[in-house]
Amino acid sequence: MKRNWIHPEEPQNAKRYWRSVSELERRENFLKDLGREFPAGDTLTDEERENGRRDFLKIMGASVGLMGLASCRRPLTTILPYTQHVEWMVPGKALMYATTMPRSGGATPLVVTTHEGRPTHVTGNPLHPLGGGIDSFAQASVLDLYDPERSQQPLGMGKELSWAKANELLSAVSTEAKKSSGAGLGVVIGATTSPTYLRLLGELKVALPQVQLFKYEAAGAEGSAAATKAVLGAGVKPFVKLGSAMRILALDCDFLGLDPVAGAPISAFTKHRAKEAKTADMNRLYVLENRYTLTGGMADHRKAIPASLIPAAAALIAVELGDSSAKALADTAPAGLKEWIAPAVRDLIDNKGKSLVLAGSRLGAEVHALVASINNALGAYGSTIDLLQEAPAPEFGGFAELQAAVSGGQVKTLVSLTPSNLYYDAPDAAAFVKLATEKKVKLVHVGTLKNSTALHAALHIPAAHYLESWGDARSADGTYSIVQPMIAPLYDSASKIEVLLALLGRKKLGPVEAAPPAAGAPPAEDAAHTAVRDTFAAVAGGLDEAKWNFTLRDGFLKASAYAKAAVTPNVAAAAEFIAKATPAAAPTDEALEVVLVPDSSVFDGRYINNAWLQEAPDPVTKLTWDNAAWIGSVTFRKLGLKDGQHVKISVGGAEIEIPAIEAPGHATHSITLPLGYGQKGVGVVGSDRGVNAYALRKQPGVFVLSGAKIEALATVAELAITQEQNTMEGRAVYREGTLDTFNKDVAFAQKTGMDGHIPENISFYKGQMGVKSAENPEGFDYETKHQWGMVIDLSKCIGCTACVIACQSENNIPVVGKDQVRKGRIMQWIRMDRYFAVPKWGKNNVEQQSTWAEDDPTPEQLESAEMVTQPMACQQCEAAPCETVCPVNATVHTDDGLNAMAYNRCIGTRYCANNCPYTARRFNWFDYNKRNPLTETSVLGMKVQNLYAGPLGEKKEDESLRLQRNPNVTVRMRGVIEKCTYCVQRLESAKILQKQVQRDSKNFRVPTDTVKTACQQSCPADAIVFGDLADKKSAVVKAKASPRDYQVLKYIGTRPRTSYLARLRNPNKNMPGAENIAVWSNNQF
Amino acid sequence: MGNFFPRWTNWLPLKVAIAVVFIAFGVSVGVAYYFTPKYTRVGYEPTQPVPFSHKIHAGQLGLDCRYCHSFSEASSHANVPTNQTCFNCHGPGKGNIRSNSPNLELVVKANETGKSIPWVKIHKAPDYVYFNHSAHLNRGISCVSCHGKINEMEVVRHDQPQSMGWCLDCHRNPENNLRPLEQITNLNFKPADLKRADFYKGLLDKKIPAKEIATVIGGEAAKADDLDQLLKLAETTYGKEVTQAEVGAQLKKHWQIQPPENCTACHR
Repeated sequence: MKRNWIHPEEPQNAKRYWRSVSELERRENFLKDLGREFPAGDTLTDEERENGRRDFLKIMGASVGLMGLASCRRPLTTILPYTQHVEWMVPGKALMYATTMPRSGGATPLVVTTHEGRPTHVTGNPLHPLGGGIDSFAQASVLDLYDPERSQQPLGMGKELSWAKANELLSAVSTEAKKSSGAGLGVVIGATTSPTYLRLLGELKVALPQVQLFKYEAAGAEGSAAATKAVLGAGVKPFVKLGSAMRILALDCDFLGLDPVAGAPISAFTKHRAKEAKTADMNRLYVLENRYTLTGGMADHRKAIPASLIPAAAALIAVELGDSSAKALADTAPAGLKEWIAPAVRDLIDNKGKSLVLAGSRLGAEVHALVASINNALGAYGSTIDLLQEAPAPEFGGFAELQAAVSGGQVKTLVSLTPSNLYYDAPDAAAFVKLATEKKVKLVHVGTLKNSTALHAALHIPAAHYLESWGDARSADGTYSIVQPMIAPLYDSASKIEVLLALLGRKKLGPVEAAPPAAGAPPAEDAAHTAVRDTFAAVAGGLDEAKWNFTLRDGFLKASAYAKAAVTPNVAAAAEFIAKATPAAAPTDEALEVVLVPDSSVFDGRYINNAWLQEAPDPVTKLTWDNAAWIGSVTFRKLGLKDGQHVKISVGGAEIEIPAIEAPGHATHSITLPLGYGQKGVGVVGSDRGVNAYALRKQPGVFVLSGAKIEALATVAELAITQEQNTMEGRAVYREGTLDTFNKDVAFAQKTGMDGHIPENISFYKGQMGVKSAENPEGFDYETKHQWGMVIDLSKCIGCTACVIACQSENNIPVVGKDQVRKGRIMQWIRMDRYFAVPKWGKNNVEQQSTWAEDDPTPEQLESAEMVTQPMACQQCEAAPCETVCPVNATVHTDDGLNAMAYNRCIGTRYCANNCPYTARRFNWFDYNKRNPLTETSVLGMKVQNLYAGPLGEKKEDESLRLQRNPNVTVRMRGVIEKCTYCVQRLESAKILQKQVQRDSKNFRVPTDTVKTACQQSCPADAIVFGDLADKKSAVVKAKASPRDYQVLKYIGTRPRTSYLARLRNPNKNMPGAENIAVWSNNQF
Repeated sequence: MGNFFPRWTNWLPLKVAIAVVFIAFGVSVGVAYYFTPKYTRVGYEPTQPVPFSHKIHAGQLGLDCRYCHSFSEASSHANVPTNQTCFNCHGPGKGNIRSNSPNLELVVKANETGKSIPWVKIHKAPDYVYFNHSAHLNRGISCVSCHGKINEMEVVRHDQPQSMGWCLDCHRNPENNLRPLEQITNLNFKPADLKRADFYKGLLDKKIPAKEIATVIGGEAAKADDLDQLLKLAETTYGKEVTQAEVGAQLKKHWQIQPPENCTACHR
């Protein structure tokens, strides 16, 4: 029967989710492209079509002729075997090694996949006590290794130097320092937990007693360190046990996103968000922040307040808890905040010993002191926060001390080992550069990028990537891990440990000049390797070879975590900080506040040249390749701005011009500026992207600037924002409810919309369906075949985009560049959808009751918007709409339930993409792998984007980027559709491995839950479950049995293999506005 | 009006039509034969940089294929051996066999310089084809099924078309190529060489019920309780000698050989 499918009318009283204000208000620019799979460039004008046909015929004629000639001979290809066996190496099989990514917050334990010695993919180390998923920065770090524009040669004031010259300069520094016993030498490092690094710095201090050590991180946490030291004692480190905390109040602390706290992994928090049966036992998160963060999106209660008022809010909490010292500060809080905080604090008190308050790392010392005394009053220390005793480390000065030392002439030679970019991101960088130049400071810079500091340094030494050097690090709980190299350095470079060794005179940097060792002889002893082994011996209590090997294999040393510290928080010291605090005035129209925050793509600027991160849409704004000023709707509309319109923001004498975007859920009178953009010289990926927001910062440790002025400019920037691309046309795809709703009816999600009324097994799209049986002979074979399926738990998903990058790394997904993203051609297979929802809106402030256009929410209502995220990739429909329309059978079903994609068969009609209700298919408009989409080519004197230069454009694959590719996945060419395949290469390998093991016996079912998809492995929240539906013991079968399980667009009968678990929120009835949260309308009909 | 066209042109359209038919037929036949791997690949026999003779090593000396192609059962690739493997026999101070032979010159040189010997690739699957040696060798498909009798080749030549249709032929009817696992690298293997009693005893030893073995031989109605009855049944069905059909059918059934015909089995 032929049916013309009409999507059911959206029920009038249903909660509406929207991605952008344009969608919410049904603006023209949104409606124009709605329903088009590829918004721009998918149709030609008549003229183009006519010319295109002629050109096509001409070119075809020529190429057919050439083809005939070219195909006469078979091209000669060779096989180059190893000449010597390589230990453990089986050509064609991946090898996994455990290692660690050293980061400012501590070690991120990793397992690295290497193919014939090339690291291609990283995942978290599941054996590690804090292991599991990883964030997008760690996931994307493998691309930095292969960055073709990495610094590869020593530089002196931007000019290339030989290694001999570089060594000469460095040894001059070291001899001079030795003469003066270190006077005049300064070393600035970033935050580190590496015992070897710290030990060598200590030895440097011993060898050169006058040397001055500084620590500088552009977005570093100096306030928190000072407060912790005073209140808890020197070397004491709070370790937050997220899994034990049932009530959490976060003060501008994005602990699920860009401001991770030292503590248990995120999965410990999300574990308490997913419920399968009636319960009262669910954790609750309160968030106060000025802008939406991922943490705010996960919150049960969130209030947008200007960041200047966070100290007052902290004081209010303290006062509620009976701490009178904060009274003065608390009194400055604006009206309405107390009504929100009082019931929240009541809830924290009711859960004493299971509750805690977290403060953002960039807040001032007074807030951290306040929070320490609050946590003390809540009994958090010892229950939800462990206090650990760190290993002793040398004393470091901060940036202020560095500046003073430079201007006082105590530092003549500065060795910069920090990952930050001093000459770009220092507070008042221009003045610092001027000061350093005037004082003739000789700068030695070690870094991976040719950034501003590198180009202005007297000596720049290219730093080795962590995947190609020896090192070590401790994770948040102190567990000791070794950083082991996966590959010989791609370019001559030096790790920071090696530079310190060179300063100590124990190593010469640069290429090894000695002849390679004879076959069979042990490789020459590496100084960094020896240094790490020495540290290991100290940590492990003796250099036991077996223990060393086990540590390398597992990726960490067992039982090496910090001991618990026996300290009682010094509340009096906290009170001193609080007394010193000066209350900030609430921002107004005339004096706005500017909040500087790290960016989800470049963090503080250090990941600027990573194309995966640049192209990963910001989790909140969905902006790629740029930064923009986030402005709340009230302020935005008062200024009469358009999305992308430039604004001039001036504060404290500095000003920047930056595009502005309207950010729902953003506090009034507050502007959020992501840091790290606007860098020069770093390469085609990162140069001149966005605007440098550091330019507004004058003082170290201050990230909230008051008294800012804003002025609208006439120009509008072209931003690449993906939020309106690949829309689901407003259909109800997201389901959530409160814990109360769930307790009343656990299966509420399955009764939403039409789901209760769909006839079984009737689908518009033909295909295999269901379980094969006598009645259903066409069904899927669950007896002898695997049946793959996936469940995504929206209660756990935080929306961080780690899965997006993991997928990109595993599946050779190309980067397409800003221009192509603007045209809706982003290639990432997983789309992290972010929706906003306003519970009640309109003039009468009632639940949405009218059509979209008539009654828009007011700007004030937009500022209370909720935010939810939903990862969306190919749903592997059993009755797949895409398959029925493919004219060449390039997309067909496999008997294990995958919607397979045979790239070499695809002719690029794009019918499938048009027919996909989930808009999960991507099209290769160009040969993105061979033609660099980021560069320009000069054609007849005109600059043309390389992709559009045709045969005149540059067509070559970057040799170093090629090394990153997964050899088990086809690199797709132009004119081919691609999409998620549940990492079919991993599934097939697992099946073949099982055959290798079983040989002539019968059991060919892959052992339960042993095969994981890349997204699942990367997920730090454990939100993705994947496995064999035919294996009754598997986790995915259990997850599908959850009452929260629902399929997106179930009523169209596509029978997707991916299903979602509805999200639960746990609002506190006593909170203002609690009745509005996660309103679930019982809209069955 | 004169006659513009001479008389013979009356038949021209028909002649042209007939010619077109013939030409089209010829082109189709030509393309179907000459443009397929059967013609373009089979027989490719490039000269290798080192005159290594499979005929001597695998044929006369009887070296197992896996002595050199050591990871073929563990990996997707059947690796080309390293110099060390050659030197196990030819190396000075080791086997020292013909270590001064000029034929080994390149191998010795490669060992000194560390530069690989550029072996010319013969069997070349396109980049989008993910063939896996281990999946075949561990499941009863011999080297000979795809590579021919390498043990008789002085210089290795491309023996089978290795086209997609050729792959699918076997994936649809694997019984034509299945053999016991211990015969995988025996390139001279003939089913007739198998002792029937040993073959069925081997199956029974794997705890496969005699009844199930019997149904494979004689259909649902066939019955057998022990080895003797099985042998009798097999002899009446297949004749005196063990045949490929017999071995293939048994192994396919009892090893659960279900060669995938999904696109994803080879294309990812």
